[in-house]
Amino acid sequence: MSHKMPEKSGLNKGDQMNKQIKFYGGVKLDEGKMTSNEPIISAPLEPLYTVPLQQHIGAPAKAVVQKGDKVLRGQLLGEAGSFVSAPVHSPTSGTVRELSSCLGPAGAQLPAVVIESDGEDTAAEPLPIFANWQEASPDELKARVAEAGIVGMGGAAFPTAVKLSPPPNVTIDTVILNGVECEPCLTADHRLMLEHTETIITGARIIARILGVKQIIIAIEMNKPDALEMMTKKAEGTGVEVVGLRVLYPQGAEKQLIYTVTGRKVPSGKLPAHVGCLVTNVSSAAAIADAVCLGKPLYERITTVTGTPVAKPGNILCRVGTPYSSALALCGGVKEDPLKIISGGPMMGMSVYSLDIPIIKGTSGILLLAADEVSQYTPNACLRCGRCNDACPMEMIPGILSSTIEFHHFSLAERWHVMDCIECGCCSYVCPAGRPLVQHMRRAKAVANATRRAAEAASKK
Amino acid sequence: MVKEYILLIIGAVLVNNFVLSRILGICPFLGVSKRLDTAMGMGGAVIFVMILSGFVTALCDKYILVRYNLEYLRTILFILVIAGLVQIVEVLLKRFSETLYTALGIYLPLITTNCAVLGSAIICATEEEFKGRIFKSTVFCFASAVGFALALVLFSSVRERLELSKIPRSFQGPAIALVTAGILAMAFTGFAGLGS
Amino acid sequence: MIDIVMMTGTGVLLGLAIGLVVRYFGVPVNPLVESLNELMPGANCGGCGLAGCSDYANAMATGRAKPGLCPVMSAEAVAKCCELLGVESDTTEPKIAVVCCSGDDDHAAKQAFYNGVNDCLNAMLVAGGSKGCTYGCLGLGSCARACPFGAIEMLPNHLAKIHADLCTGCGKCYMACPRNVIKLVPRSAAKVHVYCNSPKKAPIKRTVCKAACIGCRKCAKTAGEGQIIMNGYLASINYDNPPAEGIVEVCPTKCLRKAD
Repeated sequence: MSHKMPEKSGLNKGDQMNKQIKFYGGVKLDEGKMTSNEPIISAPLEPLYTVPLQQHIGAPAKAVVQKGDKVLRGQLLGEAGSFVSAPVHSPTSGTVRELSSCLGPAGAQLPAVVIESDGEDTAAEPLPIFANWQEASPDELKARVAEAGIVGMGGAAFPTAVKLSPPPNVTIDTVILNGVECEPCLTADHRLMLEHTETIITGARIIARILGVKQIIIAIEMNKPDALEMMTKKAEGTGVEVVGLRVLYPQGAEKQLIYTVTGRKVPSGKLPAHVGCLVTNVSSAAAIADAVCLGKPLYERITTVTGTPVAKPGNILCRVGTPYSSALALCGGVKEDPLKIISGGPMMGMSVYSLDIPIIKGTSGILLLAADEVSQYTPNACLRCGRCNDACPMEMIPGILSSTIEFHHFSLAERWHVMDCIECGCCSYVCPAGRPLVQHMRRAKAVANATRRAAEAASKK
Repeated sequence: MVKEYILLIIGAVLVNNFVLSRILGICPFLGVSKRLDTAMGMGGAVIFVMILSGFVTALCDKYILVRYNLEYLRTILFILVIAGLVQIVEVLLKRFSETLYTALGIYLPLITTNCAVLGSAIICATEEEFKGRIFKSTVFCFASAVGFALALVLFSSVRERLELSKIPRSFQGPAIALVTAGILAMAFTGFAGLGS
Repeated sequence: MIDIVMMTGTGVLLGLAIGLVVRYFGVPVNPLVESLNELMPGANCGGCGLAGCSDYANAMATGRAKPGLCPVMSAEAVAKCCELLGVESDTTEPKIAVVCCSGDDDHAAKQAFYNGVNDCLNAMLVAGGSKGCTYGCLGLGSCARACPFGAIEMLPNHLAKIHADLCTGCGKCYMACPRNVIKLVPRSAAKVHVYCNSPKKAPIKRTVCKAACIGCRKCAKTAGEGQIIMNGYLASINYDNPPAEGIVEVCPTKCLRKAD
């Protein structure tokens, strides 16, 4: 299937901003980016790293080490559990204290490998470095992406190697790098784009080589003019196009990004690959470049620690397995008692109740909110005001859906496309009745998935 | 002549709606209107019965009752004819749509004693403008049935939405349904005077 | 005279018409299904595993399902079903549901404040719920709403309580509970229960709940062979061979109690 493709996306000309495609809905948010100008700080070694074997969507990694084993930095701790899975590597050198479980950011217990650091931080043999990746075969490069345990680092943590293997009957012609970072308060990608610009561009070109794609676009929101300028400068002559997008949440959501950049709409229930596009986060692209050019597997990432209660908010380069408390301590600890601790950003992040949770591949931020910043609401009945319908970027009807879900009409909710929900939070944000709309959607999706699994199990019998 | 029939239909469907203005046929109106698909099924069944019964009763009235001075048997004969027709509809429905048959349940045979069906037949037999006019009577019965179905469909749509609201305990069930029916009836009085 | 002729004639004509229609379009009705339908309790609870009472009657008549699956039907009704179907009476032990947790607000600590939809499954979607013990009853009433017989009472201090006299063992609450706190046990053996669900170590358990089972094994040692089984650090009653009621005296935390 071929799509009408312009030479360039045509989004860059100044007067074209008004002509830039605006996706339906969305909300204008207070960006709250306290840490845009904080350079990345490398976290010092921790005495103990609790590395979960489930840091990604799909089957958990299967441990290949045992209690008492000596491990080196970058060594394989767990191999991919199935096709949709990713391996996990050690963040430092030391001894495996035990194979146990730990609390994850979603509240579930995750299987984990606890590593006692020996302080030396000795590296393992890197994965074989590609002398010239431009001549390596796409399959070799893709195998490297899988081997290095690269996952979507924007937060979703979908195994990237699986994403780079589209179904046989679809062809991808455009690679879009997501440097939008529309989530308020988070600046990890921003700093990466300023400080490791070339790595990102190399990563984008590697992805393009894997897929055999000519058109590469890096999309950055206009609230990051320094990153736009730096990226445009460094991308000159590389064949990578850099575009500046209007500031609107959730511009960085996959489907909305594709629509704005290419004008193609991903149909309900389908993947971006079905419209010939592939979207990946800039951090993931940088990780791919490191894996190919330095033989380095994924064991660390930049996490933004921010919020009014934080003494010195900043962007910390943390290894996986670092507890939130350590990252917070690096930022000077708290100067007032927080009421809420969020793993991620304020719109799509998850509330957690403990700082013992380890940082994983998808932890883009730790946000602390003070008591006067948290709204304690009592949900009321739906007013039928329709504000949510205007705000939903997936063109759904959150208000009526929430009423059907509240009264347990789950099959009706599924007929009304509740599975399309990307859980962006625009509807909850605008609801004047204080209804927890995203929670209702998540409930309906959980019921739909459970019903589907039960039906599959019953039909297999 | 066409204008006469158009006015007749508008009158029967909107102005003098059987359910909302004449308050006839409330039993299936409240009983089958919880879901839109059962309401539409019931509406269809009633349209079918009313056209047929309207035609047959008008014939019976003109050629048997009036001719032989047996007007006092009107009620009994009409009920007999309607009952027979409903039984036939019931058997056919069971054969061709088991789901609708089970969904309508007891309300299907209750069309027999439905005052809307008998009402339209009696109006056709007693009122001056319909007496002896078979075609006009049939059209009137058809239009009345369409009005009945319309009220049923509108009401069931509202009731489906009521399912998604928190109704106070004391109003749940028939109470809120009757209040809604009353409001709908008030809304339909807006049509009064249309076509005159 | 003519009136009698006319009425009789119309009646006969209509009768003939109906007869013809039934002859050519009639659907044969299975009288067995009718009589089975009469024996059904009509609760449409789904405890049999089928879609309501008439579905179960149909299934029994066609041989798809066995009699005795219905937890609500009385023994005589089941026996009559078997008689009608001509099969052996296959009685299943009537069951009852028990909420195996004592962690109400006075005993159990909370690890966070939950602000959202008042439903247990919804609460589980947010960081696994606000209760300190991850095995305990969340007290938001999903089970009470699922019960078709109104047998579950939500106590004001956030604990579910099942009233044994109203419970029919249909299992809807067991399916609704996201934490598997509700257990379905044989009614005859439901005299004493361990009102705790967490197999964690005692020091961890006690920090989050004062009424937890500490796994001291006193009950297992005092009771007869195999009457109380230790599941990690949690005692659990073997309902096939339950201990005597007097066993409740030995429990130091009083989580092993008589059925209330």
